[in-house]
Amino acid sequence: MTRRYVLVAIISDHEVTEEQFGSALTDAVRKNFGDIGFGRISPKLIRFDPTKSMAIVACKREMVRELEAGIALISDCGELPVTPLVVQVSGTIKGLKRKRKG
Amino acid sequence: MAGYSTVGLTLPTGLFQDRVVEIRNAFRDNGLDVFLRLDLSSRSREELLRSLRRFRNGYDIIAVKCSSARVAHVACRDRRVDLVFFDHENLNFRFTHALANLLQGALEMNLASIMPGNLGPNIYVSISKQFDIANEHRLKVVLSSGADRSELIRSPIQVAALASTLGLQERTALEGVSSMPLSIVENNARKRNPTHIEDGVQIVPARVK
Repeated sequence: MTRRYVLVAIISDHEVTEEQFGSALTDAVRKNFGDIGFGRISPKLIRFDPTKSMAIVACKREMVRELEAGIALISDCGELPVTPLVVQVSGTIKGLKRKRKG
Repeated sequence: MAGYSTVGLTLPTGLFQDRVVEIRNAFRDNGLDVFLRLDLSSRSREELLRSLRRFRNGYDIIAVKCSSARVAHVACRDRRVDLVFFDHENLNFRFTHALANLLQGALEMNLASIMPGNLGPNIYVSISKQFDIANEHRLKVVLSSGADRSELIRSPIQVAALASTLGLQERTALEGVSSMPLSIVENNARKRNPTHIEDGVQIVPARVK
């Protein structure tokens, strides 16, 4: 299964934990696309850096637009207001880092 | 970080010019170009025409909120209107094929109106229908964040992704966050140039031999 990796910057006045973001992501995708959509998108939180407030989320390649839309619809993480911004999309985690540096 | 290079600001009409310059400079200092837009929310046809006469030249973009059929017909037909957007709370009045046929400017959809908790799931049905009509009539579509606070800002790619998920053609969605708004601003800047008479007619300085 070919995947796409999405780098997400989480902007918030409060500190967001990996569990809070992971659960907000799952809820947003499930609420907006349903259980079948969730299965087709298969979002997975790969990495989370609380110091930089960045996360890497993987999904099926052909469903990357749906994942981006799902991320856009996250408005809070555990009742903390957040702004999740998709910064980069790449086919590999290494590619994400390279694009970010370049 | 959000991926924007230019920002469209909606400011109150009575704001002093020096305050406008101050706001523009604050954005420019952070590497963002600013253009001014005015959102007209008129209750009648006459009020809309009066507002267009009064404000058209002072703003880069004029958007009209269509809350009734009469206002929508004038807004869609008038070349001075750049964007039209529809009130999703008003269930009695929607964007139709008839309005799409009249539309001279572009249809606008802002993300803030569909953020969760704002209006419920029916909003998706309403926007999806708008996009179906836009696809069918090959309308110009502009997508904006519509953010009035920082939590509502999303990157352009997210706005485009959301629109294409709701049925807008992917190419139109990507143009809606990039080339389309820019071309509207550029066209208006050209029209406001004193040498411009009308489309295709321009004053050119005489060549002296």
